[in-house]
Amino acid sequence: MTEDAIVANGITKAYGSMTAVDHVSFRVPSGGIFGLVGPNGAGKTTIIKVLTGLSDLTGGNAQVAGFDVRKYPMEVKQRIGWVAAEVILDDDFSGWENLWLQAKFQRVSEWKGRAKQLLDYFALSAFKDNKVGTYSTGMRKKLEIALALLHEPQIIFMDEPTIGLDPGTRRMLWELITGVNREYGITIFLTSHYIEEADALCSQVAILDQGKIAAMGSPNDLKARVQGDYIELETGEPVNETRLLAIPGVREVRAQGRTWILKVDRSEEFLPSLFDHVKPDLIHKINVEKPSLESVFMQLTGKRIDQAGAEVQDYRKFYANVRRARG
Amino acid sequence: MSAETEHGVALPTPNVVAPPTSEFHRIGQMSQFTGLYSRELLRTFRNPWVLVITVVQPFMWLAFFGSSFANVPLAELEKLLHITISSYTQFLLPGVLSTSMLSVGMFGAMSTIQDKRFGYMKRILLTPTSKSTVFLAKALGSATRGLVQIPVMVVAALAFGVQLDGTPLMWAGFVLALIFLALGFSSLFLAVTASSTDWQTPGVISNFIMMPLMFASGALFPTANFPAWMATIANWNPVTYTALLGRGVVVSGTFDWLYLGYVAIFAGLLVLAGTLVGRKYMKVE
Repeated sequence: MTEDAIVANGITKAYGSMTAVDHVSFRVPSGGIFGLVGPNGAGKTTIIKVLTGLSDLTGGNAQVAGFDVRKYPMEVKQRIGWVAAEVILDDDFSGWENLWLQAKFQRVSEWKGRAKQLLDYFALSAFKDNKVGTYSTGMRKKLEIALALLHEPQIIFMDEPTIGLDPGTRRMLWELITGVNREYGITIFLTSHYIEEADALCSQVAILDQGKIAAMGSPNDLKARVQGDYIELETGEPVNETRLLAIPGVREVRAQGRTWILKVDRSEEFLPSLFDHVKPDLIHKINVEKPSLESVFMQLTGKRIDQAGAEVQDYRKFYANVRRARG
Repeated sequence: MSAETEHGVALPTPNVVAPPTSEFHRIGQMSQFTGLYSRELLRTFRNPWVLVITVVQPFMWLAFFGSSFANVPLAELEKLLHITISSYTQFLLPGVLSTSMLSVGMFGAMSTIQDKRFGYMKRILLTPTSKSTVFLAKALGSATRGLVQIPVMVVAALAFGVQLDGTPLMWAGFVLALIFLALGFSSLFLAVTASSTDWQTPGVISNFIMMPLMFASGALFPTANFPAWMATIANWNPVTYTALLGRGVVVSGTFDWLYLGYVAIFAGLLVLAGTLVGRKYMKVE
């Protein structure tokens, strides 16, 4: 048993000429919640696949729960749980039968007691004999987490755990995730492109962009690295970089589509002087970004996380893809 | 212990993980196999349409195909079929039982493609379950599904007034040959579709492999009437031997061990080869 739940050393995964994950190294201490944050297409899911042994590494090595994922994938799989982004269950079977199948796959013979406990914990006991196809999205997510916990794993991998969920269900899941981490003492490795999710849940965060780690640390450490606020501005007035830079207090100017991103020391002091230089009535949109993981990402990559993805994937599109895959 | 790089990214120093000291043994696959196999069977037999088709299809074969020569005098039919029989249906029964084992792999292939597309294959393979186990569970699952047709078809034949010869032991041997045939062909089917995620593949494969093997066999008509090229295929085709074995039992109460041996070797080779192909090429999604 090692102190680190996961150790990745220069892990690389290439698909043909496309390098999805490029020499990524990190450590996940046991017992924490580690978040891998980045836009869609940054390589988050690929990292989960190689760490869980579902996909082979092109280069580097990784240890999960003390075992080399390449040499001992089966030993790794016995010690990890997994929660899919798209909620993967057998819809033709009841909740109880899904737990039974998971117990068979994980070779747990005494599973019924724990399964009952988990169903109670997730408030699913009343529905255990109903077909999973009749469950709500929140219930399905909860059952999936129960499946992941059934064999008492050391680590749970969660790929985009709250993608496509409404805000209420998302909050409920956040509470469950921190609860599972605290009460069962399980290390959680999650990916997310919701920056506030990582901020709310994770003790450690790695920011991933284009297959590489751009920054890593606790959310507070990362935020402390950003000095100043970002202001996003859309105006009907014809402005250019030189003119914006000339406004006192502006440190940097970047354009992203029709939006100008200004970096300033303190937005409270800066905004009055902005309105002296840009006509307030022509401003379409203005947005102040205080130091957050989002501004860390902006500082590191010059992009907003939700605009940096290869494609912006909202939940409607996500579920359309799922439906297409099933049809 | 970490070192700061020029970008301020903390890179971990390589961590030397001591190799696990516990003794290594191959992780057993029995529990996973029974789980997967039960899942296949439950999925199949909970679907009422599957049951209806399983029962109706054999009836249709015997009723429609079996009646094709109803107006041909028996003596002429016997001359054509090179055998002494009580009816064409009696001749046909072992053949139809054999050919219906040809397509059982389609069930397993469809269910595998469904698991890939719905992501369930990921759920399975993210547990200590090997691809070989998945392959064998699917192959045995679809073979089992095919076997349900045997009692149904025998009862149907009796209902059509077909006389059945043979001792219970001979019948057990014939059923064993059918099990071998089903296992062999479902392994073949699953191996050929191992890397596919397309719903259409099993149908295409079925037409390409199954149709020729059905007709180029002694199942529906005697091979003595075939042109040389088709007789050659039929002489290699295990469907021929299962049908001949069954015909011996049903028509004249004789049993040929060589035929059973041939089908057993066929099944053994294809299950082995299929498992190897499945382990290497089975896609996760």
